[in-house]
Amino acid sequence: MVKKNSETKKEEQKVVREPTGYRGKLRTRLEKEGIGVWSQVRVKKGDALYEGVILPRSQHTTEGYLVLKVDTGYNIGVKITEDTTIEEYGYKEGKYKLPDISVTFKDHLPNVTLLGTGGTVASRLDYRTGAVLPAFTPEELFSAVPELIDICNLTPKKIYSLLSENFKPEFWVKTAEAVMKEFKSGADGVIIGHGTDTMSYTGSALSFMFQNLAAPVVLVGSQRSSDRPSSDGPLNIINASHIAGYADMAEVVLCMHGGTSDSYNLIHRGTRVRKMHSSRRDAFRTISDIPLGVIDANQKVTFLKDDVKRRGDIADTWIDTKIDPKVTILYFYPGMNPDTLDAIIDKDYHGVVFVGTGLGHVNTDMYPALSRAQEEEIPICIVVEPLYGFTNLRVYETGRDMLAKGVFEGANMLPSTAYAKMIWTLGHTRDVKEVEKIMTTNIAGEITNKEMNKGYMLMQGVEPGLDELLKKINPNPREHTWPGSKEK
Amino acid sequence: MLDLTKIDFKKMGFRAGIEVHHQINTKRKLFCHCKPVLSHGEPDYRFERYFRPVLGEMGDFDEGMLIEYEKGYRVIYHAYEDSVCVYEQDEQPPFWPDNEAIYLGFELAHWLNFSALVDEVVVSRKQYLDGSITTGFQRTMIVARDGWVPIRGKKLRISNLTVEEDSARKIKTENFGRTVYYNLDRLGMPLVEVITDHNDCDNPQDLQRAAEYIGLTLRLSGIGKRGLGVVRQDVNISIRGGHRVELKGVQDLSTFVDLAAREVARQDMLIKIAAMLKERIFKKKELEHTYIDLTDKFAEKNIPKNSVIMGIRLPKFGNLLGLEIQPSKDFGQDIIEKAELISGIPRSNLFHSDEIYKKAFRKLREKTLRKRKEQFQENIFFPLVTDKLDKDIRKTLKLKKEDGYFLALGPQTWVVHAMKKIIERAKMALDGVPLETRRFLPDNNSEFLRVIHGQDRLYPDTDTPPIDMDIQKIEELKKKVQKRPWEWETEFKEKYDLDYLKVKAMIRHETITTVQDLIEKFKLNPKKCYCFIEEILLALRREGFDTSKLTIERTAEIIKGAEDGVYDFNQVSNIAKTIINDPQKSLKQALSDLKIRKISDTELQKLFAEALSQLTKFKDEKIAAKDGSINNRIADKITGTIMRRTNGSISGKTVYDFVLEKLEGKISS
Repeated sequence: MVKKNSETKKEEQKVVREPTGYRGKLRTRLEKEGIGVWSQVRVKKGDALYEGVILPRSQHTTEGYLVLKVDTGYNIGVKITEDTTIEEYGYKEGKYKLPDISVTFKDHLPNVTLLGTGGTVASRLDYRTGAVLPAFTPEELFSAVPELIDICNLTPKKIYSLLSENFKPEFWVKTAEAVMKEFKSGADGVIIGHGTDTMSYTGSALSFMFQNLAAPVVLVGSQRSSDRPSSDGPLNIINASHIAGYADMAEVVLCMHGGTSDSYNLIHRGTRVRKMHSSRRDAFRTISDIPLGVIDANQKVTFLKDDVKRRGDIADTWIDTKIDPKVTILYFYPGMNPDTLDAIIDKDYHGVVFVGTGLGHVNTDMYPALSRAQEEEIPICIVVEPLYGFTNLRVYETGRDMLAKGVFEGANMLPSTAYAKMIWTLGHTRDVKEVEKIMTTNIAGEITNKEMNKGYMLMQGVEPGLDELLKKINPNPREHTWPGSKEK
Repeated sequence: MLDLTKIDFKKMGFRAGIEVHHQINTKRKLFCHCKPVLSHGEPDYRFERYFRPVLGEMGDFDEGMLIEYEKGYRVIYHAYEDSVCVYEQDEQPPFWPDNEAIYLGFELAHWLNFSALVDEVVVSRKQYLDGSITTGFQRTMIVARDGWVPIRGKKLRISNLTVEEDSARKIKTENFGRTVYYNLDRLGMPLVEVITDHNDCDNPQDLQRAAEYIGLTLRLSGIGKRGLGVVRQDVNISIRGGHRVELKGVQDLSTFVDLAAREVARQDMLIKIAAMLKERIFKKKELEHTYIDLTDKFAEKNIPKNSVIMGIRLPKFGNLLGLEIQPSKDFGQDIIEKAELISGIPRSNLFHSDEIYKKAFRKLREKTLRKRKEQFQENIFFPLVTDKLDKDIRKTLKLKKEDGYFLALGPQTWVVHAMKKIIERAKMALDGVPLETRRFLPDNNSEFLRVIHGQDRLYPDTDTPPIDMDIQKIEELKKKVQKRPWEWETEFKEKYDLDYLKVKAMIRHETITTVQDLIEKFKLNPKKCYCFIEEILLALRREGFDTSKLTIERTAEIIKGAEDGVYDFNQVSNIAKTIINDPQKSLKQALSDLKIRKISDTELQKLFAEALSQLTKFKDEKIAAKDGSINNRIADKITGTIMRRTNGSISGKTVYDFVLEKLEGKISS
């Protein structure tokens, strides 16, 4: 640490002025005048005088503007014209760092590892894109969420720094291996920090990969960015830590807000959960079932399902990570041209998850392509566009025709789950009959043999009694803790 | 007692600035498409949140934010479907900001002489952890810098103009202030914030004038929204040797001077206390975080379950805590208020050593309230801490004569938290005035609200890219600028001898152009025009008359009639009423209906003679009093009689003057 500091000092002495992010004429001009980011400048344009620190310019913004942080802390953009003068009078570099908290592990607390993949609880600004980047060291994490210190001995490790849309099936394998490594090193539970967009895909994949899982694997993220004081991230990570450290459960789960309030989180089975809103905290919902459990504002866990797999001996746990990612998802719509499926066959895909309408139907135009897939031994798993409910290709003639052309029903698997399962299955066999057998057998809760009434709780806002429900506040809120008074 | 009237602001090195927050007139909220309307009654839904600080752009936690976090608020929101959407719930990123609102900001910048307009607007986030904003930050953008308003021949600079979203409305607090309720309707309404330069103002009167000019500009330009609660003002005040203190929530500009005086007194006393501590060779390290349990010194029945009483030493603070820093408020109380706000221990469970005296301010106040039979929370310690117990406590705490102490009662963690805050605050005493944001109390004193927010709580909004403005369009907005309040003021003073107070009223009521038209186009007397528009019509509106039925031509006709002597000016109200009731009615008809006619001097003379003879004949009244002057009673009676008989066609004053003159004549003859 000390060394690093002296290095930075040296750099400052060199007085390198880099106009980071500035382009075109303005960049040339700044370089020529030896002015760059963090320069304190006076900009004169006609009667107007602007004074402030030059900030890096983000990409995808208009050329020719200088961004200044002025004395009040605000940023402004000034259009630089030829008769504008820029005069440097100082230099003030911004250093972005959460204050360190030194942490000593306590024997009586469980050991939990937090594997970072890109989802964050603390983050910082990226001047290049103007977007948010994760800040991810143990010290930063504890500084941002000090409550964690008293919950478990948490070791954060970064395995990659990825936006979740950039995930690939290969990363599921690496993630599973990383989790396994932690279990072997004595972790009582593992948390995976993950971008929320594809979190349920990873959840599904890991569910299939872990065999005889003996401890919890908890995926967690934040829907509202962690650079805001209202972020759901901190509470999510607190709850996830609690589940990973203490809950008597041994499954791959997602732990995210249950409602818009910071009052309880839901524990979703990795294979049954779906992101149902682009931005809300409570976007994650278990589909066609109720969640596995709930964790309240004081971290009390209640399981709601009686088939929760309990903790066991970690020595029995192993991972089966054979995969074949040459799988695609097709989404059927009226007028869909069969050349979409043909193209996939031409491109030598090994398996298809086909999202059919209603009970799982596609149009008759698609039949020749289906037959072709059958001939070329490409398994096609049908799931339903409505997301809720089962496929059934025996009710209507279309369905029966489709079955005759070799497709098989994916029961009530979610499209994302069926996709991850197909990839995993094809890693084990290319035999179409064998694939169908594995795909249609429940392995990790992805297929339920019944749907309970509460499995379909899509409220429309008009249900009697709902208005009263929406007005209620949490009767069991967080007990107040006083971070300031703990330090005595 | 502190004498505020003796404060010489200039001598004290008084400096002050004001922040005017004013809602502006737009069709939608700033970052979503909800209507900017207030909602009432039972909310459609509720939800709750907790907040924690995040790093500022330069990489630091803001000190003020950490203190806010320590308060540990549970925040409960009340939301209505007609004024709130998922954006205010902080469940979705913002929509593109309302361009109309941003351009209104630029227009206002032209009105207020801003020179440095922003070419590219960067939306920033300003952290607030009190729950008043669901995101935990206010989205705000600076649109211009370096403006000014003229105050008594000098330029008072306005440093910044921002356009930002308004916060939620606080409803109430519970659980010792730890649970806060907000109504979300106001959140996201666009407002402008105008900030004057702290260094340019050395007396409260000038600051008041600047604030009024800004408010009047918002009214004249039509940029400001009208109605209750659309404006909030915060001031910042410092004196020489003190520090800039922010005072939130000035309700009434007329209380300004008093507010300022109380803050000056406070800072002055805090500086004196720092000097006294230095004299006592006090060092900060003498203040230790050693909290001593004193529970067993008190009878058990006085202490609620799960609670403890603790004491803490304040070396060399003896007799300083009782010093009056604002009228009827001592230094110890200032510390107690801060400890209460952060820890949640109510002030009635806190006590400082100088409150052993019978004349301690809080004791006196309790006495007054008791006498008035008002409900209040009695301090737990006042009856319990006797001289004997005080001695015992001082012994246990190992205090010397010049030392002081604090006591607190509550759950242990809360008490420890409160004591920690007391020590922190006491340490600051050596530096005089702490940088604080304070809030005004009903008596114009103030109390701690939060540590002053620094610039580290500001960072760019990652949800909205910088907005390049249409520079041409901004330039064109200059054309919308018309006469500014100070220009109206000068013009009305010089041309019509109408003073600032009258100008202020006319701008507020949006009547100033009408009054000027009456004066200029219809060549009428300025004072009469003002009086008719501002006083007479206002009175009529209060009586329920729809004065909008009176066109400017009819108005001019009525005033002119009085000026030409067709009737007395005191009749214009009645004439106006008649015409409002039937706008088609001609003035002649109205006069006839009201039986108003011109009274000639001869007729007046006749009426006087009749009234006088009646009085002297039947009542035997004497014209002159014993000392030879006019008998006032007889003058009044004669005037009354004449007024009745002329049906008010002539003004009381004219008649009275006439009567006096005639009586005078009678006596001297």
